[in-house]
Amino acid sequence: MTPDIDLESLMVRYQQGDLAAANSLIQDVSPRLHRYFVVQFSSREHADDLLQEMWLRIHKARHTYRPGEPVLPWLYAIARNIRVDHYRKSARTTGHEQALDETPEVETAAAEETERIPNLDVLLAPLPESQREVITMLKVEGMSLEEVARATSSSIGSVKQKAHRGYEKLRERLTMLGLGKGQVGELQ
Amino acid sequence: MNDREMDEILKQSSRAPESVRPELLDRIAASMGPSLVAVRPLPPSWAMEGGLVAIAVAIAIAGAAKMGFFGFMKLIVLDRVIIFLMLGMLIFLAASEWVSENIPGSRRRLTPGAALAVTIVGMLAVFGLLFRDYHTHRFLSAGLACLGFGLLCALPVAFLGWLVLRRGFAVNAITTGLVGGTLAGLAGVTLLELHCPNFQALHILIWHTAVVPVSAGAGAMLGWMLARRS
Repeated sequence: MTPDIDLESLMVRYQQGDLAAANSLIQDVSPRLHRYFVVQFSSREHADDLLQEMWLRIHKARHTYRPGEPVLPWLYAIARNIRVDHYRKSARTTGHEQALDETPEVETAAAEETERIPNLDVLLAPLPESQREVITMLKVEGMSLEEVARATSSSIGSVKQKAHRGYEKLRERLTMLGLGKGQVGELQ
Repeated sequence: MNDREMDEILKQSSRAPESVRPELLDRIAASMGPSLVAVRPLPPSWAMEGGLVAIAVAIAIAGAAKMGFFGFMKLIVLDRVIIFLMLGMLIFLAASEWVSENIPGSRRRLTPGAALAVTIVGMLAVFGLLFRDYHTHRFLSAGLACLGFGLLCALPVAFLGWLVLRRGFAVNAITTGLVGGTLAGLAGVTLLELHCPNFQALHILIWHTAVVPVSAGAGAMLGWMLARRS
């Protein structure tokens, strides 16, 4: 994982019009953002489109980043904005809820058959969006509670609550999948 | 299964680095190249907050100067201190929330809904404590006039506030409109407290306080419409 301090200096140079810094930022940050969109939408195709859209918006809003502030909350706040816009547009054009409900189930079945730890997007698919998002930021991206609260425009207490509820649901799901203590030990 | 084991499972399931097609990354980089110029970061938050507070206070005072400071003159000194100190604090809170709404990843003191709730409850508590005359005279006509004056004062505050924050990036147009409307409404209430000599408790509790939720609601509605259009 790239230390945030490097991202900060890249971001400042990007604001100053440094092309090399912009390219480094794209290379460093895009996989994280892509994973965020994959986990949120359970679709790589959507994630590719949203990643492009994301960079367009980052580029337009790059002057709103404050040097010295953490970069990841700033990026994820914009990513959430894209995600919400996408849901809104999908809701207007297609019955997206049905599509979202169906996709993870199919993948879950496949994952159960292989009897190994499923991919992150499949694992988190049954959780509500807000819990999925908080767990991805906290546990996968390694962001602090304060950073997640900034990214999601909420309080630290609310982040803790969502993470706790998400973990409770995830615990039930993992138990259903039969991923007990023994299997975690084997994987280690 | 304990939390540490679940952490380990999550780590395992996300161990493989997310692969993004190199051609996609190249396309993104190429699309940004031509428009990559140095940009001026936003001014510090305190400067924008100060600007918003100054706008709200200046417009409220200007409005009262035009209409007369009858309410202010009628209040005793202690009541003036309590009311305007409370309004000043609420204006500062709403201004800082509005600035935060326009900077992605900002630290929040309160959520926008909580800020609106604190504002309304704070005003009801102070007004309820200070005004005890429960007679009503021309309740509807006088009340509607005050609501209208308050909202009229809120309009330029909202517009000038938007000018101050126009370079920001609102991650949520609805909550941004809600908080902007709250600040503008508070400027309207300040105008009414300076001007209105009607100290009947129900008039102040209902009609003066109503300026804030009506203005905040209008702001949220405007945000929702803009979000739908985009």
